[in-house]
Amino acid sequence: MSVQPSPSLQAQENHRIRLDQLKAFPENQRLKKIRQDILDSGYHLCTQKASLMTDYMKRNDPQPKWLEPLRRVHYGLYGNSMKKAAKGMPQRTWQIAANNLLNRFYQRCQPFSPSENQLCFAKAFRHILDNMELKVYDQELIVGNPSSHRVGAPIHPELGGLLMLPEIDRLDTRPNNPIPIDAAQRRELKEEIFPFWFNRSVLAFAPLYTKNPELFSQTTEGCYFILTQFAGISHVTPDYPRVLRMGFNGIKEKIRHHLDRMPDTRGNRATEERRAFYEAALITAEAAIAYGKRWSRHLTEQAAAEKNPERGAELAALADMFRRIPAEPAATFYEAVQSLFITHVMVHGENFQHGVSFGRVDQYLYPYYIKDLETGILTTEKALEILGCFIAKAGELIPLFFDRATEFFSGLSSASGLTLGGCLPDGSDGVNELSYLFLHAYDQVRLRQPNFHVRVHRDTPAPFLTLCADVLKKGGGLPAFFNDEQVATALVNSGFQEDDAADYSIVGCVEWGVPGKSFPAAGAVFINLPMALHLALHNGKFGTKAFGPPTGTALDFQTMDDIIGGFTTQLRHMLAIAAEGNDAIEKAHARHRPTPFLSTLVEGCIERGIEVNNGGAIYGTVGCQGVGLADVADSLSAMDELVFRKKRLSLAEMLGAVDSNYEGREDIRQLIANKTSKYGINRVEADRWARIVSGIYTRAVFQHKSPRGGPYLGGFWSMTTHQGFGVRTPALPSGRKAGETLANGISSVNGRDRLGPTAAMASAAKIDSGLIGNGCALNMKINPDQIQGEEGSRLLRWLIRGYFDMGGCQVQFNIIDPAILIDAREHPEKYRDLVVRVSGYSAYFNDLTDAMKDELIDRTLHSSRSLCGC
Amino acid sequence: MTSVDTATIFDIQRFSIHDGPGIRTTVFFKGCTMNCRWCQNPESIRPGKEMAVYVDRCIGCGMCGHVCPTGAIPADRPGRIDWRICDSCGLCAETCPAEALVLVGRTITADDLLDDCLADRSFYNVSGGGVTLSGGEPVMQSDFLRGFLPLLREEHVSVLLETAGNYAYSKIDALLPMLDHIYYDFKLPGPEEYRTMTGGDRELILENLAALKKGTVPVTVRMPVLPGINTAPEQIARIGRTLRSIGIHEMQLLPYNPFWESKLPRLQTEKRPLMLSDKNIDYRHIADALEQIGIAAQFPARHPGTQDAL
Ligand code: SF4
Ligand code: SF4
Repeated sequence: MSVQPSPSLQAQENHRIRLDQLKAFPENQRLKKIRQDILDSGYHLCTQKASLMTDYMKRNDPQPKWLEPLRRVHYGLYGNSMKKAAKGMPQRTWQIAANNLLNRFYQRCQPFSPSENQLCFAKAFRHILDNMELKVYDQELIVGNPSSHRVGAPIHPELGGLLMLPEIDRLDTRPNNPIPIDAAQRRELKEEIFPFWFNRSVLAFAPLYTKNPELFSQTTEGCYFILTQFAGISHVTPDYPRVLRMGFNGIKEKIRHHLDRMPDTRGNRATEERRAFYEAALITAEAAIAYGKRWSRHLTEQAAAEKNPERGAELAALADMFRRIPAEPAATFYEAVQSLFITHVMVHGENFQHGVSFGRVDQYLYPYYIKDLETGILTTEKALEILGCFIAKAGELIPLFFDRATEFFSGLSSASGLTLGGCLPDGSDGVNELSYLFLHAYDQVRLRQPNFHVRVHRDTPAPFLTLCADVLKKGGGLPAFFNDEQVATALVNSGFQEDDAADYSIVGCVEWGVPGKSFPAAGAVFINLPMALHLALHNGKFGTKAFGPPTGTALDFQTMDDIIGGFTTQLRHMLAIAAEGNDAIEKAHARHRPTPFLSTLVEGCIERGIEVNNGGAIYGTVGCQGVGLADVADSLSAMDELVFRKKRLSLAEMLGAVDSNYEGREDIRQLIANKTSKYGINRVEADRWARIVSGIYTRAVFQHKSPRGGPYLGGFWSMTTHQGFGVRTPALPSGRKAGETLANGISSVNGRDRLGPTAAMASAAKIDSGLIGNGCALNMKINPDQIQGEEGSRLLRWLIRGYFDMGGCQVQFNIIDPAILIDAREHPEKYRDLVVRVSGYSAYFNDLTDAMKDELIDRTLHSSRSLCGC
Repeated sequence: MTSVDTATIFDIQRFSIHDGPGIRTTVFFKGCTMNCRWCQNPESIRPGKEMAVYVDRCIGCGMCGHVCPTGAIPADRPGRIDWRICDSCGLCAETCPAEALVLVGRTITADDLLDDCLADRSFYNVSGGGVTLSGGEPVMQSDFLRGFLPLLREEHVSVLLETAGNYAYSKIDALLPMLDHIYYDFKLPGPEEYRTMTGGDRELILENLAALKKGTVPVTVRMPVLPGINTAPEQIARIGRTLRSIGIHEMQLLPYNPFWESKLPRLQTEKRPLMLSDKNIDYRHIADALEQIGIAAQFPARHPGTQDAL
């Protein structure tokens, strides 16, 4: 079945990394132009998919006419309550109950079975692919427009798009991440799209699957946890190599093979659903083939109309290529990259644009590359250009978040990950010429996406790491580095087969998953860890509101063990609520929004006949991130030292100061800040608390099981949720005042890593990584002054190597001159292309919220202070 | 003997990248046999602990005055120490929540210091780094180092010593088998300048350098560039010739950094700011002059830890 060319040993030998040739590439004019066009194009809301989907559904799954008056009244009320919710006014219990009652009622009136539903969404997908506008942009060699705009933010009303309802009128003027929207779109959304979906989207149905009436309020409130999957699950590395290997014809055959062997389904619901899944999957595979043909026709027309003969020939070549792909396996390197990207586009015709990742691209594209070099139809320069075009393409999608969510996920990155290097199955090193080429291509494109990730192990060649460092140093914070040994171990501990764990690649920002085999829902849940501590110290209350079980107040705690006990209880309680809520959302996806096309690209689904949201993937885990680890560690360390060991304060006195937000107790705050050990300076006293808390957290998370079969997996990375949670989190015993940002990932609290990067790394290496199944991020800030020239690259290499030798899992660097950031804050127009690494992903500085910008400036200032002037 | 079991140090700096090869941990020993007017670490000179006052950090809580056993902090002036009375007991520093009062110097045991020195071992391994002994004059605590350095050797940690050479040779001789490299300061042309501006004995320093040069431990001579103090052409020439005469062919120039002056108001010291600036110093020019005498002088492309003037 496999038609992937496998290069002869001789061929591989011929093209062992020819470093001299791969050292530098002249600036590629085509890439320069494409980059500039993308930067110049601005963003735009894209309603194309929403509109086509609504159009199809209205005709094929209408709700009964007689319901219309009721729906209209309901929609009006719903809109009002959404607007209130957006302003932070939670829905009343009766409103929620009434809403749920009505939604249940509609569902009764419109009894599509799960099987019918699968088929219906498969056909809607076909309708979308058949009608999506095709656009070829100037000079590009890789085509496929994932939205109707050069840089577009598609909205998905059937998922969580209704969350945008309250801000449709001011989407283009809102303070954070404004996104242009035109009058026609506004009208269509308000009059056609939203009224159709408001009572049949994942957002509407999820509450029917939970016993917790306050779930929606709790998650939009954003104090304790955030559930993201209203917006869609995505976060997956589809089995793109499967498309290159088999083509959609091959995938069709595979589906048909299983379908033909289905037993008689009559009367057996489970088998009937499996059959329906196969039929739905077939429809989507055929739609993919038809989409390729449509591209071929379109490109032929474009080629004919093109006046420039050179460009005409390029377009004709593409048109020719699309006569075969993606139906047929890819025959050449160029075809492989194009087939890969067009499949990526199609995945987004069905799924929310977040975290859909490319996997180990340098590995699976390598055979094509070698073969073409051997036969002489490709040069290294051409390959670089093709890769550059591909990389730029990945920058054309941005996510759409409602205003409050932008506080938590600022930066407008849809976080498509791409992984380079790492061990091969036989344990040898996988870095090849393509790994270098990818970095060189990125160096020329430098847009916010995709996220470049590099797997590192003992035998990763030093020149490759040096190139990584060279690329990284120019700003942008890419690539990030992952330690093969630690990541694979964490995955095995989390239940992955050894060979699968060894083949991991990065999903989205930092999440480690098995490409093609897992549906990791890696960005599902974010937990505010310091809030669990606050509840523990306040008898389960936040303010006057009881949230957790009573665990005592200051006078009840005699030892640190008591406090840890209370923290664990509150954390478990919080996790239980969050997991139950996330399960509800996932059940709503499974029942109401199947994704049959994605299912053809995740191993296990076709084999078992189960759609991916229903648990078809080999690994069906859920990612659950703990945010603010360092804040909890520092708080525990402060209480331990000042109250229990040195007895300088009583717990009541200390908590009194904390609860008054240190108002009038600056002495206590200073005492904590200066006289207690902190996480990040490699002191056992504080590091042990980070280790204890990370262990408690990941074990507690692992107790939960997803409806898709796999366990919940803990992670420590935060995107910008540390900012969002921080705003809502009261003062802490760590000396942090109310509202200040929390620490990101497994990094120390800002400015507390006073002993420099090695000490911060040594602290981070102490964290219990055994069960971190969903990734962790250590953000290191480095003063640009220190990493100039060859010596600077060497220094970065040393830091990475040294940290990984100590057992670190992941590290990423932010190298930015504070002066530039300050200037960029004042003059955003001058810095449209300033890419910075937030936590776990890169973003344009201009797209950050003001609070985030300040935090970043603050962070960089701290770093230059602590690293300079020695 | 307790005196060899513990050292008095005033800082341990991880991630030192300008004090020898690779990533290093620098241990700053307290106490010096000289007293240079431009000393970068004026808090290092006295061998014992001493207080430093950061006036701007004080939040005026008054706790220091309450705990001071000698009455060196008057009740009406919290956070201000009367140096004539203070005996550097450090109680106020321990109490002060704001780090406004800081005790410079601490006693550390060999075992604890070893722990700190090994913390970054995996960074030494990947970078060819190690531990740098600095100060102050580390050799002043030679009795301690004789017991301590073998511990580092056992752990295969490379050790670099930064020294100014103003002591009896026997002090350093005993340490040589445990050192991997020596950075040796040579600062001024003549004996008189040495005596008045550093309190050091130029002949002793030269003799020691010559003796070390004959040994097996590599020695790198370094000269701090002090604008207007040792930068006149004839001064440079004299320094060069002197070094050349004892067989030195290479040296490093250390750029001048005025950062130390901001430390003075915090300390009990008779030192005064020198207001020197290397704005008009052409390092290349100095290097060329030394080159002519037969000494290859390296100078850093940029000033570590200082902002390049644009
Ligand atoms: S060091 Fe001791 S004597 Fe000196 S001011 Fe502080 S408490 Fe008083
Ligand atoms: S204890 Fe510290 S902060 Fe308080 S008055 Fe004294 S010096 Fe100032």
